[in-house]
Amino acid sequence: MARAEYSLKLQAGSGSRIKDFLNANLINILAALLFLLLAFFLLYPIIAVLIKSIRGPSGFTLEYYRAFFTKNYYYRSLFNTLLLGTINTVVCLVIGFCLAYMTTRGPYLLRKPLKVISLVPLIAPPYLFALSLIILFGRNGLVTRMFDLHWQLYGFAGVVISQTLAFIPLAYMMLENTLMSLNPNLEESAYDMGASEATILRTITIPLMAPGLLKAALLIFVMTIAEFGNAAILAGRTPFLAPDTYTMITGESDFNMGSVLSVVLIAPCIIIFFVHNYLLEGKKFTTIGGKPVASEPRKITPIIKIPLIIVTTMATGAIFICFAVVLAASFYKILGVTDKFILANYLDFTSNQAIANSIRVSFVAAVIGAVIGVLLAYVIVRGKFFGRTFIEMASLSGFALPGTVLGIGYLLAFSAPPLKLTGGIMILALNCVFRFLAVGVEAGISKLHQIHIEIEEASADLGASFLTTFYKIVLPIMFPAFIAGFIYTFMTAIVSLSAVVFLVSPGFQLAAVKIFDAAVYGEIGIASATTIKLILIVMLCMAVLNYITKKTRLGSGLKQPVA
Amino acid sequence: MKGKFISIVVAAIFCVALAGSAVAEEINAYMGTSPDNNAKIAQFIKDKTGITVNQTFQSFGEIEARVKAEAPNFNADMIIGCGSSTGFMAKKNGWTVPYVSPAWKGAPEVFVDPQGNWYNIGNFSFVLVGNKDRLAKAGLTMPKSWKDLLEAKWKGEIVMPSPLSSGTANMMRFSFLALYGDEEGWKFLQGLDKNVHHYTRSGNAPTDLVGRGEFILGITSDENIKKRIDDGYPLVWSIPVEGTGYDGTFALILKGTKKLDACKKIVDLLGTPEFSMVMADIGYVTPRPAENKLYGKTLPNYIKLDLGKAADDKSKNNDIWKAKLRSEFE
Repeated sequence: MARAEYSLKLQAGSGSRIKDFLNANLINILAALLFLLLAFFLLYPIIAVLIKSIRGPSGFTLEYYRAFFTKNYYYRSLFNTLLLGTINTVVCLVIGFCLAYMTTRGPYLLRKPLKVISLVPLIAPPYLFALSLIILFGRNGLVTRMFDLHWQLYGFAGVVISQTLAFIPLAYMMLENTLMSLNPNLEESAYDMGASEATILRTITIPLMAPGLLKAALLIFVMTIAEFGNAAILAGRTPFLAPDTYTMITGESDFNMGSVLSVVLIAPCIIIFFVHNYLLEGKKFTTIGGKPVASEPRKITPIIKIPLIIVTTMATGAIFICFAVVLAASFYKILGVTDKFILANYLDFTSNQAIANSIRVSFVAAVIGAVIGVLLAYVIVRGKFFGRTFIEMASLSGFALPGTVLGIGYLLAFSAPPLKLTGGIMILALNCVFRFLAVGVEAGISKLHQIHIEIEEASADLGASFLTTFYKIVLPIMFPAFIAGFIYTFMTAIVSLSAVVFLVSPGFQLAAVKIFDAAVYGEIGIASATTIKLILIVMLCMAVLNYITKKTRLGSGLKQPVA
Repeated sequence: MKGKFISIVVAAIFCVALAGSAVAEEINAYMGTSPDNNAKIAQFIKDKTGITVNQTFQSFGEIEARVKAEAPNFNADMIIGCGSSTGFMAKKNGWTVPYVSPAWKGAPEVFVDPQGNWYNIGNFSFVLVGNKDRLAKAGLTMPKSWKDLLEAKWKGEIVMPSPLSSGTANMMRFSFLALYGDEEGWKFLQGLDKNVHHYTRSGNAPTDLVGRGEFILGITSDENIKKRIDDGYPLVWSIPVEGTGYDGTFALILKGTKKLDACKKIVDLLGTPEFSMVMADIGYVTPRPAENKLYGKTLPNYIKLDLGKAADDKSKNNDIWKAKLRSEFE
């Protein structure tokens, strides 16, 4: 940024007309550039999928859709997928809300431990829960044998349970952030005036949280129906769209039918995305990255408190047990069969390389994603050009895009010259950038809404160039949004399997794919050890990042802008 | 100030991250044996030639899909370990670099293409595995004939891989079709389907699931059985009287490679008796005579197969399989 500013100054010396032109139009030029990026890396791959779904070897045809809509199998697959998404979303939201309520409004003593247990699985690949469930509750699992139970883990129920456990952390993270950024004064005044906890919840907390709840619902729905690891391991004979799409592409190499399944997977997501946008029309944005405020613990009435405690205990208990199984499995040759303590799983060198690759990809993706996200947010809020709404919708649509779709789209769009990008780190990083862009953009938008444009205008009136204003005023304000985009992209990119699994190439294995393969192959020890290593390293990265942000913020004496 | 600090930190992290890619002789390969066997083979190549083989684990089916999708711009220099169908397809479409290796001279014809388009580094088969503990508990014994698997007592207790995603499962399918003929063969598969709990993604997965006692019987690749038993799984294995099928594990050089010399060196190495020993030790039946870890000196009884026809029929049989075996598919 500093260099661009410098070269701009040089140009300014040669003629102030260029400077004026740039000052007046830089935002439009920026917008055009960003639009090109979005068009190329987000819209084009999706269009490639759409085209593939209607284009056979002999020209355009609807044959593949006919095949989809005339076979009961696919109907069932679609129905199961939607049902899974709905159940998961509701359950995750309820549990996530209870956890978030307890950690932001509940007793201090419980806040930290609950928070840690709820957040740790965020870094673990979602399908890990499938493995723990098999070891514990499989037909010959430890618990099943101990109590001589007869139940059916393989099937719809197993997938729902494992997916729910896997996505509680995401629900919790989003709702906790929403609850934190609610001003507690309203609730406290209501409480002081004698309102019961239930009344406060019903009339203040939940209505205020509505935008955050909706957003979390959308994200969880889209993520659950696209993430196929748990279904691939536990579904048995129950069909789901995401694993079917995966087999269709990687097993049968039927790209046409695979594209049809992807398009069908997008449809419900897009519908929900528009419903969500419609419902939020005119409401203020509440997102990750909001200003956190800690609330004083209040006395919660038993009617509310007891269910809360039951739900949170059960949820964190289940997560804790699953995790304990993973931890134990990492130290045994075959947990539950031959319980011999070994360290060999940790010494497996190939997984280290995969972890290093994952961190590289996620880091690159997070940096690029956060920068693009902040710039997009600026253009969307401050720009006055034709197509602004379109750019906004396009950059937020990442929320509604199942990972499988963008994975296949990238494979279709970028695997042949002149656009050959497959077979390297960049395609993986770019894929993550554009899938997870929405969070950074949204956080940026909400930050920008907090400052009035007058500040920027004042700066311009005093003679600052556009870039100076941007650098000195806009960037500091948007720094938290940058961090939010960075963290979200980094965390989700590192564990997400659904898109990158189509794009990894020899010599560049990623941890998430490596763990999945080891898991499917029955190498549970290696899968578990790799996960534990991944979690430790990611935690270290986050700690370093946290340290840097704190240091730099304190160093420059930056204060949060007043809304 | 703040901006500068961050950019320095970012630049430093970048440098560290990128420094990992050192320069040495290395090739990229798609390898379809199990993850630890891939590693073993890559290590052997590294030890003997100094060439590093970068690889990702993929199943045979996935490698075939990958190669089809990428043709003719492959992201790898070689395939070391794919199904025969991929090898035949690559030869037919001219996706290989033919190389008649002197090191492969004298290998039986199942193992090497006369024009040097592919080399078969080892045949593998499928076997029946059972969980000792669960069998004993249920008072059952291992079936003697494949047909015994159709008996109602095995309902819901058999797992096998899906031919849509697994090359091993494709081998099972074409072997049964060759054994019983098309019509009887499909009837057998449909009968078996009634007892099969579900079809797994990978050809080895049933070994693990049966080893854990999740299911009593599995039809699975013979590749890792010995290792799993050594690891401590309570497994028994057998080949029913009718015999078993086989498929090759093919290696080939992909067109467009910029590292032909390294690839040739590797192909030469794969033809040596020493490499056959490595493969036999894992459990493969090899081009050069070597004592097989699983079968010992006497090889199993093989069903008579035409691998070329099997490769041609694969896609047609996938459609029939879906139509006949997927409930509510029609």
